[in-house]
Amino acid sequence: MTPNRDFYTGLMATAFFAFVLFVLIPIYVKVPSFIPGFAPPPDMWPRVITGVGLAMGILAIVFAIPKMRLASGERVTTIGQTLNRNRKLIARFVAVLIGFAAFTYGMPVIGFVPATILLLAYLFLMTGNYSRKIWMIGLSIIFPILLYLVFTEVTHTPFPEGHLFSAYIADSVTLI
Amino acid sequence: MWNELLYAFEAVATLPNFIAMAAGIWGGVIIGAIPGMTGTMAVTLALPFTFYLPPVTSILLLVALYKGSTYGGSISAILIKTPGTASAACTVLDGYPLAQQGKGGKALNMALVSSCIGDFVSNISLFFLAMPLALFALRVGPPEYFMLMAFSLTIVASISGRSLLLGIISACIGLLLATVGEDIYGSFRFAVTEDMKSGLGVVPVLIGLFALPELIKMIVFRPEDNNAAMKLGDNRLTMSEFRGSLKSILRGSVIGVVLGAIPGIGPSTAAFFSYSEARRTSRNGDKFGEGELEGVAASESANNGCCGATMIPLLALGVPGDVITGVMLGAFMIHGLTPGPLLFQNNIGEVYSLFIGILFSSVFLFVAGKLTAGAFAKISRIPQTLLLPCILVLCVFGIYSIGASPFDVTVLLVMGVVGFAMMILNIPAAPFLIAFILGPMFEDNMRRSLAISRGDLGVFFQSWISWGFFALTVLFIALTIRREWQKWREKSRNTAQSA
Repeated sequence: MTPNRDFYTGLMATAFFAFVLFVLIPIYVKVPSFIPGFAPPPDMWPRVITGVGLAMGILAIVFAIPKMRLASGERVTTIGQTLNRNRKLIARFVAVLIGFAAFTYGMPVIGFVPATILLLAYLFLMTGNYSRKIWMIGLSIIFPILLYLVFTEVTHTPFPEGHLFSAYIADSVTLI
Repeated sequence: MWNELLYAFEAVATLPNFIAMAAGIWGGVIIGAIPGMTGTMAVTLALPFTFYLPPVTSILLLVALYKGSTYGGSISAILIKTPGTASAACTVLDGYPLAQQGKGGKALNMALVSSCIGDFVSNISLFFLAMPLALFALRVGPPEYFMLMAFSLTIVASISGRSLLLGIISACIGLLLATVGEDIYGSFRFAVTEDMKSGLGVVPVLIGLFALPELIKMIVFRPEDNNAAMKLGDNRLTMSEFRGSLKSILRGSVIGVVLGAIPGIGPSTAAFFSYSEARRTSRNGDKFGEGELEGVAASESANNGCCGATMIPLLALGVPGDVITGVMLGAFMIHGLTPGPLLFQNNIGEVYSLFIGILFSSVFLFVAGKLTAGAFAKISRIPQTLLLPCILVLCVFGIYSIGASPFDVTVLLVMGVVGFAMMILNIPAAPFLIAFILGPMFEDNMRRSLAISRGDLGVFFQSWISWGFFALTVLFIALTIRREWQKWREKSRNTAQSA
């Protein structure tokens, strides 16, 4: 028997709901000492949902077992081999995650517009299609600036300037 | 009623509303014409911008996007054999052969005319059916509403795709994420950070789940560029060709209305059903699939016939008929309007304005299609490698502008990754969306009912309306179990035979 995608989906769902039910709910869903009337406590509904989710995850594993006896296009030999075979795809996915994380943490530091320019340029690079370099460079710079102008004019959104530049501007003003 | 309609007409016939509808139709057609971009994406991408518009203008913009994208899907279906949206999949069957014969423009014209007729019939049905249904539903209290929500959640079964089990898992994740934040009695749940105390915003969650996974998928798998588009060629649609397809157009429109009004069925099924009926009854039935205009007409009238009809259960009962109306339900709530029977009692002016505006949007669709069919044809060739990253940045700006909150942007990106993971694991996203939106209403009404009845579960079975919805829920679940059982048996039989 070799595990397939349905098996891993069931396994992940089971692990996720079990983690929420047995770890997260006891810590992050506090039951108050007083509940008005006969209203059910706040943890009742999350427990019902995770219970159902857990049951469905286990069922998914059970239903995947007959399929695991058969050879199929979704057959997965071992986790290690699968990861090795798809290492390029996994590397790209990790690169996307790094890009998103860098944007989230970098945005308050370098400012919203520079961060979005960098994010857009990074995403264009990650697409792997470099046949339209001029478009990529032009759009990376012009598009976020254009959006910034539209949004500040129309919606008056206060986009973060970034600690780095705010500090630099403040220092320059002090020096002057 | 007529006075109110007249007032509504005056309220709708304003420049901002017309601009919103025109922008919605054009935007929808553009997005629908691009393979891989769906009507759901069009509507969710527009959500952040509606925050700055009045409620009626916002909803008209979203409805126009819905209609535009449904028609737009036929452009790439006909010219590049790639349906822009799932509902246009059936249009490929005859649309692309017509384009190969040099009749792409003719096929597009037929798609436009039949879409507009289907759309108009659908709007009229919305006008006449939503009000009586809502008046009937005015008698519902929390227990009945709970039963109604339970029935609504059963549509998860019909939008689960390949596996009901995975659909339920997806719905459970949606229900769970909907519990994050403060509940109706002021208790905090899963408030891991300070930002999470106010819960997860509907807009970043929806956009993250529906718009971002396509981008991540493109980066990770790097698919081939778009297909080459066929030329428009012969553009004229003659009166005799139109008359020859009229019966199929009208039949398709009615099929669209009936199937669209039933929650969970949607335009794709309606299009295929209408196509097969047209093929069965047409004199040219044997030519279907080789480039028959009637085939395009049957499919397009049915999928656009669903657009107005899916709004019937949404407006009258607060039950979203499909994923797009699920997003619209979120949009209504963002603007302080709660779809359902009370909408007809408290916001009747807005309801009439919507009816009138939706009728106008059919005209806008026709004009937009006629004027710019050639230009729209070129849109289907925009490379996704340029388009999708720009869409992400647009989403980031839009989301940030709603509440000037970096947390919302983080939620958007995290949900994009979650959506991609769900895609890889074959877990459908649509049940998540329905559950995420309906979850809080379901829970609130359940807890209110139990508080009123002092914990007695009998409160859910005290009126015949509750019993009615309960019976419908049980019936729907029973039918789903039967269908799944049949599917499983057929699969086992095939497996045994192949072994």
